Order: sequence, then structure tokens, then C-alpha cells
Amino acid sequence: MVKRKAAAKALTNKTCRQISDLVFDYLNEKLTPATKRDFEQHLSICPDCVSFLNTYRKTVAVTGSVKVQQLPPKVRENILGFLRKRIRRVGAFLIFLVAYLAA
Amino acid sequence: MTTFAPITEPRSSVETNFVAATVGGLEPSLCGRASSGRRRSSGKDESALIERLKAGDQESFETIFNLYSPKLYGVAQRILGEVADTEEVIQDVFWTVYRKAKSFRGNSQLSTWLYRLTINAALGKIRREKKHSKEVEYEEYLPKFQDDGHHMVRPVVDWSDTLDEKYAKQEMQDLLAQALDQLKPVDKSVVMLSDLEGMSDREIAKTTGLTVSAVKTRLHRARLFLRGNLAVHLGYSAA
Repeated sequence: MVKRKAAAKALTNKTCRQISDLVFDYLNEKLTPATKRDFEQHLSICPDCVSFLNTYRKTVAVTGSVKVQQLPPKVRENILGFLRKRIRRVGAFLIFLVAYLAA
Repeated sequence: MTTFAPITEPRSSVETNFVAATVGGLEPSLCGRASSGRRRSSGKDESALIERLKAGDQESFETIFNLYSPKLYGVAQRILGEVADTEEVIQDVFWTVYRKAKSFRGNSQLSTWLYRLTINAALGKIRREKKHSKEVEYEEYLPKFQDDGHHMVRPVVDWSDTLDEKYAKQEMQDLLAQALDQLKPVDKSVVMLSDLEGMSDREIAKTTGLTVSAVKTRLHRARLFLRGNLAVHLGYSAA
């Protein structure tokens, strides 16, 4: 009976909606000790929120594993070639400008 | 209608002065320190490189290109989705680096500036060319609750252990890429910087020009959307 009362109190302390709002800070360990205690108390009696937390955490983990496209050597050469050409053009223009101004 | 306002808006008069001179309204030196974990060279080496670059040294420019272009290409490609666009963005970013190196005041790490240039250039390209046409309503994939605060659909299924079993690695990659592409471009950038690049909320704020609070809100909502998307793909309720 006492246990049931405590469980009911914990449920009212934090609702599942609040848990979903707090999960971000919980995973970043940014909750205050009191809020963290409430959060974990709610988890101890709410399997739905445990599932929610686990799937949220899993989502973050798999997102972090997404493969990022490698820079293809051909594209790298294209970009570098383009930049070198532009730098040369700017350099040539500056030399011309200096010569022109000196003349 | 996709909006990107916060990321390109200047935050101060210092930034305002710089906006006109940079790709997509970028500012190199508002930002603080980026995490040391991502640093490619020591601070001393980097400062020397930047000083040489400021003097117009092409070799140091190419060193910076070689150090950062693979990472920046990956980020831009994930945001833009197309190889040709990505190539153009990286060209623009490094051309800006070469031209504007003197404006880099060193208040931030070089990497923070480069990420900022890249993200703003990519978002600017999307905005100009209105490429992000796939508008998905996040709401459909967010958790829903009853008036008393309990989950709307119960029980909430814990599919965290079955995800890897159900999908082969490549399938999972495709599924995630598809879900990420449905995010709003700014949100995708925030997710990329956080979950793929490992930046802190504060670093992301500095890089994107968003407030820390906006970064947290966008990141949380994007994760909820991705979670709901994965749940639906697995045959469960997003709620």
C-alpha cells in the first residue's frame, strides 16, 4: 500500500510528457539532482518511459553512425585546380596593377 | 516554406560589418574555442599556418585545404545531398578562406570558422535554389500524450535492441539518410554537428549563430522526429 502510494506520487511528480521534455538534458547529464531523482523515480515505475528513453538513446547512437561521404580524389583535384587557377589570376592581376601604378 | 533566419543573421555590430564580405553572411571570429578533440594541429602550428596564409602563402593555404576539406566536404554533402553542389560549396568556402584570411582575428579556432563558412554556404545554396522541397510535418512523428500527460499510445514499444537485427548495415544507413534528408536544413546541420561531429551545444551555437537554447530545442525536436521515423519504419507507432 505504502509502495503503491509512493509510486503514484512519483507519477504525479513528473508526467510522461515531462519526461520526454527532459530526456535531452538527462542524457547530457544536465539535470539538477532533484529533477534527476524525479526523472529516475518516474522511470522506475513507468515502462513506457523506459522504452521511450531507450529508443531515443538508440536514435542518437545510430544517427552518430551515419557514414559521411568521402571526398573523392577527382573532386579534390577539381576543387584544388580551380582554387590554384583563381589564386594565380589574382596574383597576375596584382603584379599588373603594381607595374601599372609604378609606370 | 523553409526558414533559415537565425543562422545567417548577424548578432552584433561587429558581425554586421563582416557580413557583406563573406560567403552567406559569415563571421570568422565571433566564436570561442572549439573542442580540442577535433583539432588537427596544435594551436601553435595553426596560428603559424594562419599567419602565413594571411601573408598570401599558397602552401599554407593548401595545407589548410588538405587538413579540413575531407571533413567539410562530408558535412556539406550530408546537408546538400548532391555532389556537384557540394563541390561548388567547398570551392566557395576555401576561396573565401583565401580572400578573407586577414579578417580572421583568431578569437575562435580555425575549425569553427571553417564549419561556420561551410554550413552557411550550404544553407545559403539551398535557400537560393529552393532545393529543399520535401517538407515533412514533424508533428506526425513526434510523441503524443493524453491530457493527463501519459503516452497516447501504450505500451510504448522498446525497439532499441531489434533495430540492428532487423536491418543490415547498409539498409540502416539508407534508412537514416532518408530520415535525415527529411529534416529542415538548419536542423540537419545541428544534428550533423552534434551527433556526427561530436560538438557540444555551445560549440554548435557558436558555429551556427543560433542561441544555445535554440540549438537544444532544434536538436531535441529533430531527434524526436528521427526516433518517430525509425519507429514507423519498424512498424510501430511514432507516438
